[in-house]
Amino acid sequence: MNEQLIVSGKNIPHIVPHLHLWGTEIALYLFFGGLAAGIIFFANFFYLKGKENEMPMTIKVATLVPPIIIIIGLVLLIVDLHHWMYFWQLFLHFRIESPMSWGAWTLSVIMVPAILWPLSYLDDIIEYLQERNPKCKITGILIWANNLINKLPIVPAIVKWFADNRKIAAYLTIPIAIILGVYTGILLSAFNARPLWNSAILGPLFLTSGVSTAAAAIMWMSNDHKERKLYSKIDLFLIAIEIFFIIHMFMGMLAGGVAQVEAAELFLGGPYTVVFWVGIVAIGLVLPAILEIMELSGFHIPVWIPAFLILLSGMLFRFVMVWGGQASSFNIL
Amino acid sequence: MGLFMVAAYYFSGEGLGASGALKTFVVNGVNSVNHNYAESHSYFAKYVGNEEGSILKTWLVFEILGVIVGGILSAAIAGRLTMKINKGPSITNKQRLIFAIIGGILFGIGSQLGRGCTSGMVMSGMAVLSWSGFIGLFAIFGGGYVLAYFFRKLWL
Repeated sequence: MNEQLIVSGKNIPHIVPHLHLWGTEIALYLFFGGLAAGIIFFANFFYLKGKENEMPMTIKVATLVPPIIIIIGLVLLIVDLHHWMYFWQLFLHFRIESPMSWGAWTLSVIMVPAILWPLSYLDDIIEYLQERNPKCKITGILIWANNLINKLPIVPAIVKWFADNRKIAAYLTIPIAIILGVYTGILLSAFNARPLWNSAILGPLFLTSGVSTAAAAIMWMSNDHKERKLYSKIDLFLIAIEIFFIIHMFMGMLAGGVAQVEAAELFLGGPYTVVFWVGIVAIGLVLPAILEIMELSGFHIPVWIPAFLILLSGMLFRFVMVWGGQASSFNIL
Repeated sequence: MGLFMVAAYYFSGEGLGASGALKTFVVNGVNSVNHNYAESHSYFAKYVGNEEGSILKTWLVFEILGVIVGGILSAAIAGRLTMKINKGPSITNKQRLIFAIIGGILFGIGSQLGRGCTSGMVMSGMAVLSWSGFIGLFAIFGGGYVLAYFFRKLWL
């Protein structure tokens, strides 16, 4: 038998020696939140730009994804809760100073347009899928859902009302989508006891990363050459901003106190160095950027390769930030 | 390849390898899923717990990542970056994949019994004039030539 003698007043599992309360569920939830925010943002933005017929994938078909992944994200969030039976209490309170409260309410509010938007385009989506991809298995489910909705009492009227007021809805949804994207970072940066997270740049960084993964996802789904090319350009732009934010995050930390410097060192020589710089920055940002530059300058690149790499790096980024943040602390104290 | 081998020894202190990357991946995977099992298993135990067995400290893992990235980039430059299955004219894609997987598994097992694959044992071994490298060369390619006769219909 191995006996262990612990001489410490700090025998607290999952908290000492370092926090380990958040795992896969939270990382995936942040990824899905950012991806959904990005897809909703693009759909609403390009709708307002009047591209309804030119970009059917962005404005119509891709919007089927956000409600599904938001629901998966929320289920993951509830799974993560210790007292998960009480999750509904979040929806009965609003505390302006609590990022969790903001998140719960943002997600609830955005679910309304996230569901109504694709429903209001359901006929167009079915037609698009039948035309472009007759073998698509989702079409059958969508036709069934469409028939079911038309038989329900009030729902068709609500969907029609939404379709008639789509422009106002889009103006209202865009800020909520941005709040959702920023919130995925703010949720972490509100923890001032974790020096890695406690950086104001995390909000914009997570927003950019989320929108970038959304651009990659739409680019992968689209089969319109012009639409793909546009997203290649958008993605390149977003990757550049993301790298800029990442560099600034580390610059800010290295210019900070000892705890911040120690947090940055987790990524600059510490255990997360290789995963971050090789896995996320080199293979997940720089390589897809090179491939997209090649694509834009005439080389034939299968779209799934850069898209897959960007999505993978987006997910990895959230895992690394969630894990790394918990490993960082005010050790000096 | 020869120059690359010299560079590999110079920079990493080790030769080239391929199966080692997959092995590290598998060992670390098993270790993170079930640490106790990995420690009790005679094969995995050798690599578990020491720094050198870690996936992030193994140069072969990064060599293989580089091979994949380099492959994608050079294929893109040559305009040949597509998904396709190379096969003989008389078999289906499914058969081709099944036989490729069986072959891969057999070669994987063989490489672990022989302590290295074509790159890790034969090439790196021969580069340092190790006997096992030369024997491995004849075993791998000789075995291939002998057995190719029985599987010729997969390619003809």
